[in-house]
Order: sequence, then structure tokens, then C-alpha cells
Amino acid sequence: MGLDYQTVLWNKQKKTYDKWIAITMLIYLICFIGITILTNPETSIETLIIRAFGTLAIALLHIILAIGPLTRLNPKFLPILYNRRHLGVSMFLAALVHGGFSIFQFHSLGTTNPIYALFTSNIEYNSFTNFPFQVLGFFALIILFLMAATSHDFWLKNLSPKTWKRLHMMVYIAYGLIILHIFLGALQQQPSWGSIGVLSLGFIVITSLHLSTAFKESKLDKSKTSHVDDGWEYVCTTDEIPEDRAKIFIVDKERIAIFKYDQKLSAISNVCKHQGGPLGEGKIVDGCITCPWHGYQYLPHNGQSPPPFTEKVSTYRLRLIGKKIYVLPKALAEGTAVEPVIL
Amino acid sequence: MEENKDEFYIGYLDEVPVKTKKSIKRFVLFSIGVIIIIATVFSLTQNTFKNSTFELTTSTKIMGVYHEMPYPMLKVKTSENTFKNILLLGFGKLSVNPYLNKIRKEVPELSGSMLSIEGNLIYYNGKTLLQVTSDEKINLIETANSKRLPISNILVEGIELKGEVIDPKCYFGVMKPGKGKIHRSCAVLCISGGIPPVLATTDENNISEYYLITDQQGQPIHKEITPYVGKPSLLKGNVVQIEDWYQLRIDVNTIKDLELPSRIY
Repeated sequence: MGLDYQTVLWNKQKKTYDKWIAITMLIYLICFIGITILTNPETSIETLIIRAFGTLAIALLHIILAIGPLTRLNPKFLPILYNRRHLGVSMFLAALVHGGFSIFQFHSLGTTNPIYALFTSNIEYNSFTNFPFQVLGFFALIILFLMAATSHDFWLKNLSPKTWKRLHMMVYIAYGLIILHIFLGALQQQPSWGSIGVLSLGFIVITSLHLSTAFKESKLDKSKTSHVDDGWEYVCTTDEIPEDRAKIFIVDKERIAIFKYDQKLSAISNVCKHQGGPLGEGKIVDGCITCPWHGYQYLPHNGQSPPPFTEKVSTYRLRLIGKKIYVLPKALAEGTAVEPVIL
Repeated sequence: MEENKDEFYIGYLDEVPVKTKKSIKRFVLFSIGVIIIIATVFSLTQNTFKNSTFELTTSTKIMGVYHEMPYPMLKVKTSENTFKNILLLGFGKLSVNPYLNKIRKEVPELSGSMLSIEGNLIYYNGKTLLQVTSDEKINLIETANSKRLPISNILVEGIELKGEVIDPKCYFGVMKPGKGKIHRSCAVLCISGGIPPVLATTDENNISEYYLITDQQGQPIHKEITPYVGKPSLLKGNVVQIEDWYQLRIDVNTIKDLELPSRIY
């Protein structure tokens, strides 16, 4: 958990995940190239590569964008989140083949530097229909490169999770740029209802999943706890929290998770230090709160990762009156030990 | 693992809970199905590619009469009293002129000379071009004889033609498609680099004709025409026939951008 870094910490699940990424990519390329050669045999190898890898990158990007909200809506999808970064890097490599070949094909071997030529060979930036669509794809590729290059936990730690998350949220800007790149480029020259339909359906699915997730999250954010006179807030009864699981509440504008385990109750911040995963959707495993995203662990009574790991999250004081659980909304310093409430 | 157990997936553990495993298998199969559908739709909705050819890996040696009217060509005899004028181009997005410098020094009067040139053929729809990649592959066979030069005739004056200004190297074979908006930047670079601009037109019977574009005096045009490259445009000028090629002599300032969707004429 972030103590020292290796290029990739391989494990069985990651290997299985990567094997299926490779199989899926291969199936796509075989289908696209095979169908094109069978139905449109006068194609050229360069065009085939540019189009096969470009469309593959778009297809993978849609899957990547769907994974986040899918896991928020249904925890059964969590395994596909676990190694999403490898899927992201694979998508970037597909996009790089598309972009690299396109730059070589369309902008190299002339009298001008290819990157300079990309920006200057069509300068109708003031026109929507004649806009140089290649520039949009180029900027999208830069964003995807930055994301792929910083995808390792080394960068997550050194950039800080907040900055890293902001950088990686730029995938939505890249998605917008790519959609414009396609509509102002390929689809303008050869519009087809099939391709427009696929992209529109993709946009609708991605948007719907994100809106559904936002609706679900907003319901949680709107849930109120009951104030009582001495500063404590009533949250729920002990029966409402399953064993070894938690319930999430908003107190003092922060999400907290109250865990029930071994006839005890403990409360910590809901936000994992690794990638901001929802600890309250995790589980007590081997006595530790385990994040559902990547398995980062914290001791429930003090919010500290077990040694030798060093992550710490805020803890909260709890009080039990009968079966009613109360929480003191003020967060304690990260890693502060709090005696668990005994049931 | 029991089916009704409170399942929890941890990526770094070898075991995957049973129900989670089933869900993921379904998701992977569904994703592969979606991927196949996407690949099918994207591959089937491509426009039909032309049967143009670029012999990238095959070198062909041709022999003929060199001329510049105004763009470098080789007049090649294909059968008795039948000739084909092959447009000469350089490597990449460049003119053939740098490759001709060496022989120009050796043969000051190059037009009308019989040359043998080895390069890569590009051909489509009755037109043939040759990519030259080395000045060592251009050799003099016979010195200049002006009688061998093609004859040019003014065919029509003041004609208006609708079409797309293309770079012939890509259009006639190097790229698919070598036209339209997708290809505009490449065509701009090719024409800026010295490849002759060509107007491609298509009539109502879907028969295409091609015109090498020059200025009103029949001199080469390159960068001046780039704002109109790859866009449907209206060009006005005189058509000159040089055997199997037409030449359109225009005033670049009179070209009209038709502001129509980008497609070939």
C-alpha cells in the first residue's frame, strides 16, 4: 500500500484482467479488419490500421467510462474497477497507434514539422464545419498520455490523491474532444446512421449511468441526521448495520462510515486515502476495514493502515443509548484512536 | 465459497467470490458482444474504397520523353502511336524537382530528352504517376529533341468547373481516401511541397475528369491554392489539352469556395 513501488504488482486477478483486455482488443481488431477486407477489399493497410485502432480506442473508452458508475450502482462490478488503469493504458496505446499513424500518414514527409503541420495545414479555426478536427484528437491524445503516464501509484502518491484525481477526471474532456474529433472528421466526410447511432447510444448510456449514480449519491448527501442538544447526532439503530459492514452518513458535511464488527462499533471517514474509494461500502476483513476499490485496509478503532503501511483517515466518537447510535460530528485528527462502542 | 455468503471482492486475493465471478463472466461476455457489434457497425459503414494502386514495394523502370508543361512528366510510348504522360512526383509530400537537379546539371536542355526513370507507380482511372525516390535512378537515354514534346491545344476558354482541388499523389493511389476533409491537411502539405494541384470533377453520369491546375500563363501554382484544397470549389479558366491530360489555367483569386459538404466531384 504505497510503501515501495514496482512497475506492476502482478497478481492472479491482474493477470486474468489483462488477459481479457488483450483478448477483447484482439477480437475487435480481427472483426474490424476481417469484415473490412471481406466487404471493402480495396482498402489500404495504413487506413485499416488508423481506423481499426481509432475505433477500438473509442469502444474501450466507453467501457472505461461505464465502469465507474456501474460499480457505484452495483458492487458486483467492483472487480472490473480493480485494474481499470490497465484498461486505460491499453486504450491509450490503441489511441496512440491511431494518432501516431495518422500524424505520419497525413502530416509527415513534407517540408514542415509534422506537429507544426498538424496545427497549421488547415487554419480554419473560426469555422465549425471546416474546423481542423485533427487538433481535437491531438489534445485528447495528450490528455490520455498524461493519464497513462501517471497511472502508477507512484504518481498518485507524489501528485497527491486530490491532484491525481483531478488530472484523471480530464478523461471527460478527452471524451468530449474525441466525440468532436469524430463528428468533425470522419463522420463529416462519410456520415452513416450506423456509426452516428453507435456513438449516440454510447453517449446516452454513459450519461445515463453517470446521472443514475449522481442521483443515488445525492440521495445519500441529502439524508439528514437528527441533532440532539449536547452536539451528538442520532444516526441509526444497531440493527440497521449488517455485521462486518458499515452504513454511511453525512455529518458536518463529511461522509463517515460506521462499522459494526465483533460486537463493536467504530466510525471513520468514508474516503480512502488511496483513490478516494468509499470505505463505507467496504467490509471488515481480518479485523481491518477493507476498501472495496483496491483493498486498502484500515484498523477500525484508529483509522490507521496496519504496519508497515502508513495511511491514516479521520475517526469519530460514537455513543450508544439502547440500540440508538449517536455520533459526535467533529472529525478527530487522522489516525486518532477511539475506543470502540461495545454492543 | 457458499452462494449466500456476504461476498466481498479483494483484487489481490487469488479467490473471487462465486456470485461475483458469475457477474463478471456475464459482464465480460456482454462487453465482447458489444465490441463485436461496434466493430461490425464501424467496419460496414465505411465508404467503398477506390481501386487505385500505389506500388510501394515494387520499382518499375519507365522510359520516355521528359517535359515540363509546367509540371514534370514523362511521355511514355504504350503502343504504336499511343503515348501516356506520366506525372513525376518526389518522395513523401515533395515535388520531383530536387531529384532532377543532378541530371539537369548534366543535361541543360532536359525537356525533350529521352530518360529512363525507376520509381513506384501510382495509377487510377486512366491516369498514371511515378514516385521518384533517388536521383541515381534517373538516366539520360537520348538528348533533347523538341519534336518529341507533346502538343498543347486550347480546348475551351472561360469554362466554369465545379470540383475538388486534390493532390494527385494521394488521390490516385497513395491514400484511401485521398480526398475530402479527412485528407485536406495532407493535400495542403503535398501541394505546398511541390506536388501539382489537380481539379477532380464528376459529371452527372459519375464520370470523373482531372485537370492539372496552373496560373493563367501556364505556370505552376502551389501554396496560393491551398485555402481551397479539399473543399468543393468553383474554378473558372481556360482548358488546355496536353495529349492525355487536361490543364486548367486559372486566376486563383477567382476560385469560389462552394461551402458544400466535403465530398469528391
